[in-house]
Amino acid sequence: MKSSPQDIQKSVYRIIDNSNAIVLYLDTKGLISICNKKLEEITGKDKGQMTGNHWLDILYRDSNRMINQQMFKAVMDASINYKRPNVFEGSIKDSNHNEHFISWNITPIIDDSHELEGILLLGNDVTLLKERGASLKNIDETLKNIFSSIKEYALYAINLDGNITYYGMGSESLFGWQKNEIIFKQVSLLHSYDDAAYKFPFILEQVRSLGHYELETYLIKKNGLSFPVILSVSQFLDAKGKIIGYIFIAKDITERKKLEYQIFQAEKLAAIDQLAAGMAHEINNPLFVISGRLEMILGQKRLSEKLKEDLNIINTQTDRIRKLVDRFLKFNRKTTPKLETLNINEVIDTVLPLLAYHKLPVVKIDIEKYFTPDLGLIKGDLNQLQEVFLNLLINAYQAMSIDGKITIKTSNFMDKFAEIRISDTGCGIAKENLKNIFTPFFSTKEDGTGLGLSICYNIIKSHNGSIDIESEAGKGTTFIIRLPFIYSPSQKSFRAVDYTDFLVEL
Amino acid sequence: MSCKVLVVDDEAQLRDLFSDLLKKENFTVKCASSGEEALDIIGKEDFEVVLLDIRMSGISGLEALKKIKELKPNMIVILITGFGYDEDLITKSKEYGCAGYIGKNMPISRILSSFKLFIKTAKEKAK
Repeated sequence: MKSSPQDIQKSVYRIIDNSNAIVLYLDTKGLISICNKKLEEITGKDKGQMTGNHWLDILYRDSNRMINQQMFKAVMDASINYKRPNVFEGSIKDSNHNEHFISWNITPIIDDSHELEGILLLGNDVTLLKERGASLKNIDETLKNIFSSIKEYALYAINLDGNITYYGMGSESLFGWQKNEIIFKQVSLLHSYDDAAYKFPFILEQVRSLGHYELETYLIKKNGLSFPVILSVSQFLDAKGKIIGYIFIAKDITERKKLEYQIFQAEKLAAIDQLAAGMAHEINNPLFVISGRLEMILGQKRLSEKLKEDLNIINTQTDRIRKLVDRFLKFNRKTTPKLETLNINEVIDTVLPLLAYHKLPVVKIDIEKYFTPDLGLIKGDLNQLQEVFLNLLINAYQAMSIDGKITIKTSNFMDKFAEIRISDTGCGIAKENLKNIFTPFFSTKEDGTGLGLSICYNIIKSHNGSIDIESEAGKGTTFIIRLPFIYSPSQKSFRAVDYTDFLVEL
Repeated sequence: MSCKVLVVDDEAQLRDLFSDLLKKENFTVKCASSGEEALDIIGKEDFEVVLLDIRMSGISGLEALKKIKELKPNMIVILITGFGYDEDLITKSKEYGCAGYIGKNMPISRILSSFKLFIKTAKEKAK
């Protein structure tokens, strides 16, 4: 059936009117000559009200959208002037002030004599799409933030050739490599070469057969340091389920390892403690019998010189064992100080010459003394206190690599304690080590036994005193010891130290 | 110094050693191999001093000390131990009325002199 031109025109109008796109036909001056229902929906005006009005007045009713409006106008003008189609994306507001994001198609309509007849505007409302896109962008942003806040996890993937194809989520902070430095490089940069060469075949085999594998291993930072991780490896599958690589999730367990180590140390310590006490006790009994009998024999008058000599050797060696066991016990349990009245300034003066007998680093050290004269007296065990000060001075020496200064200050603390401050200008102690500094077997020195400071601590405690440390890495360390006065400089009456009234001989 | 001493130790050789050492110093010595036996002997016989090992099978030295002091409040009891300085043990033994606390890790001569010193001090205190 052949349609009449009228029918065609009607049909075209119907199509235009029912189109889901905004259809807007303007004359050469920009006045609306045709528009459709979709535009009615958005503007809230009927076609009759809009026809003959300038497009700008219909689409942009508020003046605060000037930039958008001006840009749109410029695009339109270009289309009109150069008779060229154009696209423009911009937002307009509907009668309820809701924003609609419209993607415009601008087509100049040219008549048979190549003159501009009008402009056809087709506008697609893409608000929903934009919103979705924006929220996707938001999710992306959120995920990115989440991932970058996760410090102890790293997520990365490799292809079947072992090249890193994905390097995200915490990887940069964990490894220290930037994404652009490492992407598409060999994964052996992150794993040790040995791991990549020897462990990978096994691991990947497991992943292929089980789909997943988890292990504890070490990874390598950009600076070459290795760190412990729990590594979880999974297959990287494409949409068809074909394996295209492997996904790695590494969890940094450095802190946990440290904690485990400390617990292990504490347990070891407790075990050693128990063993030492038990051993010392068990050895003491037979040793006591041996040395007792020996002493009785040596007391006899009719012994040949040779026998006497041999017995004396046995006696000396037995005594060595006794002293050794004694040291165990001393470490294990605090020994009671053999108390005498002491002036702490004099005690320190007796210690300084002893330094000469110790193998000290060859460094140029100045020792400065600031002693408070007429300091009150304390009750203490001379040998034990000497051991404390000697230990602290040796530590101070060892803390200084080239040259430095040791300052020894004594003062009256609150009229109750003699305070001794021993400061050095050495390497100081890192904050994380400070809390462990008096723990037995804790040492920051390579060849340290970790007993020195814990013995100092025990000795000072058994003198009813206190020992504290102030230190800053790189600046130096100060030990502060306080020992109670038996009588302070101001109060000259004797203060009894409570354990002197009970007899203990050890 | 001469007085009657009861040596209590569950190890025969230690008992014998103390016995020999003390006899040489003119003490009169009798031995018991456990806290229980010591209490039994003390119930029948008079002693001035008891030298008591802390760690023994059966009742411990500390328990024996407590019971001896209940039985004979004036008895001088001296504890001897293979352990080092132990705050708890010292506090407890002091509380139970022990006259002194000797470590086996000392040279014999010092053990003997401490032993005598403790007896002397206890006797002076009693006066």
